[in-house]
Amino acid sequence: MKECLINVQTAVIDMNDSNILELVQNCLDEGLTPIEIIEGGLSKGLEGVGERFDAGEYFLAELIMAGEVVTMATTFLQSMMVPGEIGKKGKVLLATVKGDIHEIGKNILGMVLSASGYEVVDIGANASAELILETLKEQKINMVGLSALLTTTVGGIKEVVELLRQAGMRDQTRIAIGGACCSRQLADEMKVDAFGESAVSAVSIFDGFRESLAVS
Amino acid sequence: MASMSPVERVLRTFDGKPVDRIPCFSCLLEGRQADEILGKKLIQNGILVTNPLVKLFFDKLGPSITRPIIQRTFADLVDRRNRAQVKMGFDAIWAYYDDSWVALDSETLALTTGSLFNVIGDGYGNATYMYREPGIKTPADFEAWPYWPNPDDIAHRVSKYFRKFVKKHGESTCIFGYGFFGGLFESMNWSFGIEKVPLWIKREPAYVKRFLDLLEEISIKTHTAILEAGAPGVFQSDDFAYKTGPFMRPSMVEEIFGDRYRRIIKNVHDHGGKYILHSCGDNTLLFDHFIDWGVDGLHAYENTSNVDIFKEKEIHGDQVTIVGGVGIDYLLSDRSKDEEIVEKVKELCIKLGPGGKFLLSAVHSEDSVPSAKLKVMLDAVKEYGVYPLTTD
Repeated sequence: MKECLINVQTAVIDMNDSNILELVQNCLDEGLTPIEIIEGGLSKGLEGVGERFDAGEYFLAELIMAGEVVTMATTFLQSMMVPGEIGKKGKVLLATVKGDIHEIGKNILGMVLSASGYEVVDIGANASAELILETLKEQKINMVGLSALLTTTVGGIKEVVELLRQAGMRDQTRIAIGGACCSRQLADEMKVDAFGESAVSAVSIFDGFRESLAVS
Repeated sequence: MASMSPVERVLRTFDGKPVDRIPCFSCLLEGRQADEILGKKLIQNGILVTNPLVKLFFDKLGPSITRPIIQRTFADLVDRRNRAQVKMGFDAIWAYYDDSWVALDSETLALTTGSLFNVIGDGYGNATYMYREPGIKTPADFEAWPYWPNPDDIAHRVSKYFRKFVKKHGESTCIFGYGFFGGLFESMNWSFGIEKVPLWIKREPAYVKRFLDLLEEISIKTHTAILEAGAPGVFQSDDFAYKTGPFMRPSMVEEIFGDRYRRIIKNVHDHGGKYILHSCGDNTLLFDHFIDWGVDGLHAYENTSNVDIFKEKEIHGDQVTIVGGVGIDYLLSDRSKDEEIVEKVKELCIKLGPGGKFLLSAVHSEDSVPSAKLKVMLDAVKEYGVYPLTTD
């Protein structure tokens, strides 16, 4: 791997926002494309952050800082990318369910998915099932991440699943849930497709969704 | 053992001395529960949310004119909650008093330390608030924020309230007072935005210091006011963790907050009081720090987080009083059976009661919790929490 990409990875892992743009420019100067820098540098860096998070060395604050470094870099690179290159892995809809205003986990997931090549459509917090369905239809999205922190709002997840079923869209839509009150047990109970323990590990969930949708 | 007064029971429990039974702590009541216990007011404050004329009034007149009305409304609201806790018969209560909010318009409340809340209905006829967004997004916002609180002014109003409240209710329950909404870390999260706090810490340390200096001063002055009013203790809320662990690494928590909390808690001890710290989520990695800061008790040990309250009894049970244990996600909801609450109370009493240093409590307060379920919990402690504890 090119040294310049390793330097970008290291800057993400070390949460170094002071020279990330210089390191990204070095990669561009060496002839790498923005996509190669995102996938080989930034995304790999986030994987390293995720490993440290899973190992208990990094916490949410570090995820946020690393996400900020990645956002700075991707914003810089986006101006040089052709439209089709952005979010080429597909679109993901993110929302916090109705009755719940917590967004931090969802927002970190959004940063991580963007850095991993997804186009993220984030409709925010307190999102009704109707709004979620409408957005999925309008923007032709078939992967959705629902966040719920409060146990009193998990009914919102059920509403989304039911609306999709009534609209005849459930089979071709993949749903992942995450948040403080969520669990694998809840995912089974709500009949969704996956439960994401953390934002960084959730990327593999959406990669899996892509594969299953391509096959089906 | 002869029956004790609630105050004696609670304070001896903190000191690990023999008591007649495990005390039951009330972790705040919401408007709904206050209405169920005290009866609904003739005019509920839910009109703030529903009545178009009232909304117009707040929209047209602005915060400078409506502030006394909001102060009065909040004062009444929190006093009702406190009185309801006393009437229910808890051994110890979290008596919260804060009237320092500002209504920017009919839909927006500002906390004076820089955060914005929506005014919403609680579904039971009461107005309540839900966090919306930070009010301080840049250093320029920090300098321009017009509502920074005056700690002396807040302490004076807190003193006035608690002198009356302690005089009236101090014999009936062990009062743990709280005089300002927001601990040091959670106030930063609300005011700067939780996603931006690490960036503020890294890039604007001088502003972070100014902010935390203010919160520390408010904490110390309001705690002093509460204790000098005669309350035996202070209960401070500061959410350092979420479901699976702390928001930031323990060494950073220690670096930024450690010495501040040591000063805050020393002030409480210097005034002869007990100090309980509430922190949501799984604080397992932070408990040693909290104990080193000097806390006497820790709340909540949320069952929906990864914290293991029984393991904590084994590890820290002789160093700190555990307060909490009963979940509000299911047990203290209208979906549970009363027998399930009783079984949980029995389990907590048997496993956490030995050696004392345990106050049974809900892990949090929520509008969805029927007061009848809290009564079941309270009655169960009074029946099954009597020493010597048995499994019958």
